[in-house]
Amino acid sequence: MSNVPENLFYTVDHEWIKIDGDIATIGITDFAQKALGDIVFVELPDVGESYSVNDTFGVVESIKSVSDLLIPVAGEVLERNDDLEDTPELCNESPFDNAWMLKIKMTNAEDKSSLLDATKYTAHCEASH
Amino acid sequence: MGDKTVLYDAHMKLNAKMAPFAGFEMPIQYTSIKEEVIAVRENVGVFDVSHMGEFFAEGPEAIKFIDNMMTNDFMGADLYKAVYSPLCRENGTVIDDFIAYKIGTERVLICVNASNIDKDYSWFESHVTEFDCQLSNHSSNYSLLAIQGPRSEEVLKQIEIYPTGDFPYYSAKEIQAHGEKLIIARTGYTGEDGFELFCSNQFITTLWDKLLNAGVIPCGLAARDVLRLEVGYPLYGHEIHDDVTPLDSALKWTVKFSKNNFIGKEALENYTPKYRLVKLSLDKGIPREGYPILNEEHETIGKVCSGTMSIISGKGIALCHIEKAKFPKDKKLFIQIRKNIVPANYHTKPFITGGHK
Repeated sequence: MSNVPENLFYTVDHEWIKIDGDIATIGITDFAQKALGDIVFVELPDVGESYSVNDTFGVVESIKSVSDLLIPVAGEVLERNDDLEDTPELCNESPFDNAWMLKIKMTNAEDKSSLLDATKYTAHCEASH
Repeated sequence: MGDKTVLYDAHMKLNAKMAPFAGFEMPIQYTSIKEEVIAVRENVGVFDVSHMGEFFAEGPEAIKFIDNMMTNDFMGADLYKAVYSPLCRENGTVIDDFIAYKIGTERVLICVNASNIDKDYSWFESHVTEFDCQLSNHSSNYSLLAIQGPRSEEVLKQIEIYPTGDFPYYSAKEIQAHGEKLIIARTGYTGEDGFELFCSNQFITTLWDKLLNAGVIPCGLAARDVLRLEVGYPLYGHEIHDDVTPLDSALKWTVKFSKNNFIGKEALENYTPKYRLVKLSLDKGIPREGYPILNEEHETIGKVCSGTMSIISGKGIALCHIEKAKFPKDKKLFIQIRKNIVPANYHTKPFITGGHK
């Protein structure tokens, strides 16, 4: 079973979002890292880039696969986790903590309403099995 | 859902990730690709490759027949030797690649890629009539396990499946073990020392259990692909395919123009290669199939045939086709990954030196 922390929001594409005021921190979930297997490369955008919901903001690569990362909330990149460049395996080891990917300054507070809570996301994962 | 190999239930029991491959449901990985690659490089792993095709050519002219079908030299190979070769059309293009095993003076085993079984068998069949030789297709009643890694000889001796006498790299013999007739060959697709065991569908489960009980690590096709790329081996459908010749894909060493005749000889003698197959690595990023190769002026001059992350070197590695006429003398090559143009390192040797004997 995958770990699904209660205090986070989620997308159907297996990203997690932590919201503090108008700042969203995002990453990929435990379910995602298990499905991908050994993660060997993460590509993230520069600070200052702006995105609309569902824009591709980067990629995560396992040995065999390349997956797009989709932005769950519109906004501007305030910070990115540069540790993932040299240690992409953090995505496997610590998906909800050390492997956070971006901090976004949200431009639309309404985006939050379309995210899944932990219960709904757990149900989504079970259905994807 | 595709066909299942006999070991399908055994793979499910190990919670393998399964995926369709060449019409079969095959194990892609069991635990982690990384662990499985390391098992083969440092210890010993086993692959179920029962999807592959097995044909027999038997009769007084079996060896002559196979020699005519392959670009490499089969007549000149000693008894109990295996020979790797492309299988070419009259025009020199590649139908498949295969290994022929000289297991008797009048008996040859041919092992071909799963995706090409029907195509290859038709090709062999259409040429066998000129020879005193019988051809038969045993792909569905033979299973195949590849036992690969530095400890493979030790493990096979431990489970008492090993021929007597010398058995060097690229040897093949029919043996009796545990009351069963098997064909054992010291061949593989990983660059490590290793063996391939051809046996009946009835015996394969017993053999699989014996290997796992002896501590051999089950490995999936994903690890196999990384292993073969690390040592630069071509794969049909990627580096070699219906539109290129062996001379386009660094396989000149398998084309023996000194032979009297083989299918494709005349065309290949007069052929100017279009492509050069090169090995490139990246310090950052992972090359994937289809990514463009650029020169210093950023013109597209080729593409990645196969690419992956090398477990052993920790770098992105690729086998690439580059248009021969546009190959830059200074070897300054770049791979385009999405919007990024990444300088590539040019390798003349395999990315990894395997330990095969």
